[in-house]
Amino acid sequence: MSTESADGDDLRDRISNFLRRNFPQIQMHGGSAAIQDLDREAGSVTIQLGGACSGCGISPMTIQAIKSRMTKEIPEITTVHADTGMAAGGGDGMGGGNVSPSFPGETSGGSEDDEGPQAPF
Amino acid sequence: MTLDPETFEAEKYVEYFPKLQQAYKNAFSRMNEEYDSTLIHGIDQAVLNESEPFYEGDGEFRVELPPNPHERLDGVVVVEEETLDAVLSAYTEAIRAELRRVFDVQ
Repeated sequence: MSTESADGDDLRDRISNFLRRNFPQIQMHGGSAAIQDLDREAGSVTIQLGGACSGCGISPMTIQAIKSRMTKEIPEITTVHADTGMAAGGGDGMGGGNVSPSFPGETSGGSEDDEGPQAPF
Repeated sequence: MTLDPETFEAEKYVEYFPKLQQAYKNAFSRMNEEYDSTLIHGIDQAVLNESEPFYEGDGEFRVELPPNPHERLDGVVVVEEETLDAVLSAYTEAIRAELRRVFDVQ
């Protein structure tokens, strides 16, 4: 569940834009860096970053970089959690996929251009 | 290029980030050829995701790993503690070597 109030969308947009601008490789990865949870009160955000892995071009350092830069650029955010879908701390690990495909026509948050042309590296 | 520790620290996730990623990716590829792929993927994602590179000057990098790497891999991949330590050590060395190469400070 998200813990944001109705006026939280502005912050959410800024986080999305920050990610899109600075970490386009996440988008290219098909990993819509979904903002899983945003707690304005606590200044913490959880980002779903499926399978950040050097083998597919996203280094594990991406998470470090996001943490380091987002807290600088978006003062409201003090803590960044990244959920990479790994069994960090004994989650359900393999096979416990919580992948929810999104269907055309189903808008989640109203980003109208999530598939723009991608700049090559 | 001349690299100094302060600039590296300030810019590692901004200006130098592409190079940083390249170095990690090169190290990953090297390790993946030599060792068990599942283990290398696991280390890459569960341990290195909170590693931190530092430049110490004189062409030397240091890579700090998070504590308890073995626990971090729990539920991801099964590996003997000694084996993991050895692979982590080799992986860290590979990253340092790639950082030296990518940043051209050898």
